[in-house]
Amino acid sequence: MRRFDIVTLESPNRAPLRIEGFLFGEEKSKGPSVAIIGAMSGDHINQLYVASGLVEYLRTKEEEGKIIGRILIIPAVNAYALNMGEKNWPLDKTDLNMMFPGYAQGETTQRIASQLFGELKGYDYGIILEGRRDQGMCLPYVKLIQSGYEDLECVKDLGMGFVHYRPHEPVETAMLQYNWQLWETKAFSIVFGKNGSIDQSISDEVHTAIVRFLSKRNMLDFYVFEGRKSNILDPNRITVLKASRAGIFISQVACGSPIKKGEVVGVIMDALSGKKLEKMLSPCEGIVTCQYSHPLIFQNSIAFRIASVELCCQIDTKRK
Amino acid sequence: MGLIEEVFTIELPVGESFRIQRCRYKGKKSTKRISIVSGIHGDELEGQYVCFLLGQWLRNNPDKILGIIDIYPAINSLGLDSITRSIPFYDVDLNRIFPGSKNDFLPAQIADGVVNAMRGSDLAIDIHSSNIFLREIPQVRIAKSQEDVLVPLANLLNIDFVWVHDAVTVLESTFAHAMNTIGTKTLVVEMGVGMRLGKAYGQQLLDGLLNLMACEGILDIELLDVRFPMQSHEGEVAYLNAACPGLFVPVIEHCQIIEKGSVVGHIVSALSGEVMDEVIAPIGGMLFTIRAYPIVYEGSLLGRIFGEKQ
Repeated sequence: MRRFDIVTLESPNRAPLRIEGFLFGEEKSKGPSVAIIGAMSGDHINQLYVASGLVEYLRTKEEEGKIIGRILIIPAVNAYALNMGEKNWPLDKTDLNMMFPGYAQGETTQRIASQLFGELKGYDYGIILEGRRDQGMCLPYVKLIQSGYEDLECVKDLGMGFVHYRPHEPVETAMLQYNWQLWETKAFSIVFGKNGSIDQSISDEVHTAIVRFLSKRNMLDFYVFEGRKSNILDPNRITVLKASRAGIFISQVACGSPIKKGEVVGVIMDALSGKKLEKMLSPCEGIVTCQYSHPLIFQNSIAFRIASVELCCQIDTKRK
Repeated sequence: MGLIEEVFTIELPVGESFRIQRCRYKGKKSTKRISIVSGIHGDELEGQYVCFLLGQWLRNNPDKILGIIDIYPAINSLGLDSITRSIPFYDVDLNRIFPGSKNDFLPAQIADGVVNAMRGSDLAIDIHSSNIFLREIPQVRIAKSQEDVLVPLANLLNIDFVWVHDAVTVLESTFAHAMNTIGTKTLVVEMGVGMRLGKAYGQQLLDGLLNLMACEGILDIELLDVRFPMQSHEGEVAYLNAACPGLFVPVIEHCQIIEKGSVVGHIVSALSGEVMDEVIAPIGGMLFTIRAYPIVYEGSLLGRIFGEKQ
């Protein structure tokens, strides 16, 4: 393992920012290569945890001579934000994952993105560990955006239950996944957990999926059990259940729960009087893929996203 | 007197509602409609002052109103009342989430509500104040794809600079792009600095708005004698970025004509007492942007100069 600085940046008053990389495998390995990016935001603690766990895991596997590809792990891109409870770049609040491909002559976060992207170019595969951008938590899923260069086949080797495969939004053209794909790396994101926290079982699932991917893609010589057959989802297969009222939100199901149409999935209470304002009933049969995770909920917020059996069935039937 | 209406409301969890209000002034001779918008970013206050000045003028001149004038001073009302640029709780920049959606998280629903409230406006003026880091002269920024339609309107606004920039895909998530896409000619004004207001700039833009509305048949007044702005295609914009971290101390004032090679400021070390770097103008011209917040990292924007093409 080689531990090295990818980016160093002097600060006016703090100790310098260092973005560190951990490289496994021979520099001149002819095997495939992958770069794995951990926390790009200061609240992506679960992503940091999984990435650093992979560093330790691969260190032992390297000692056993099991690394046959080249694997780079960058556990923390935005250590400055992580160290002070900020989400974004602490001075100007810009989101580092909105700065790609970066600009070497530009503003600070553009320069950081540029240096980082320079290191990431040329890898065969790119895995971005992402948190959510809303107050939600979700089943771990693969987010693969359609740039014209994406590779749907390779993500199936993760053996994860769900792959969210959809067109890219304008805002995503400044993100790492999109730009990495344009530079011919087979890049995708794994979105999981709840921002600001660590979920051990979800972390284990993501860790296992990445190890499976490394093994199946010939970067790690290690036996792995088969994962799941991935369900490919797009927004048309998801039913959203919104809160008709604001207040204290009590969920009565967990992410991943299979639910029936009409089943009670949550309750909203008036935050002051305690009166029950809404009993939330599932509009369909399916699996809860994502849910609102803050105890206070806004009116019309999306409380649950449900992979709908009926919608999936309708779409698949039409295609046949 | 305008009619104050709530155009978007949503319950907050604990005994309060988030709301977007507008004040509508309606004449009887035209259905032409303009929306004046401010506070998409909660730390930008110049627009609020312009809204006040315009509202005051309209209250004093109701007989001059021909069309419909909607004033939306506070889109991100949670942010404005808490010195927060983004949507609090979610920490999401509202101006990167348009056109929004009813089936997405709260910021996207707010964006959707804003677009629907203004849908049908012939014109919209989105007033920003730069951020807390930079001080700007009154200017309008226009994507190149919309140059033909929007530059003639911008030239009526009594601003100092019209900046036509290349299309950037990420800006398709802005309010202005969303509104232009649905047929509302929308201009983005940037002026001043975040968290402050400048009375002179406010008055300058008020005159521009009155002139624009007169030209468009929304107000029954004589055209004003407004300034004609510098046009970006007639020159070039040079960027001054910090070469090192430290404290930026400018030596010249904002909005000055400077010569190539002149000193704009210094970056100094508070710890060692050293001058770390001397910031030199790479071209001559108008210093139309200058840093207002002194702490800088390498790359921080210190200023912009508009000058002759090299």
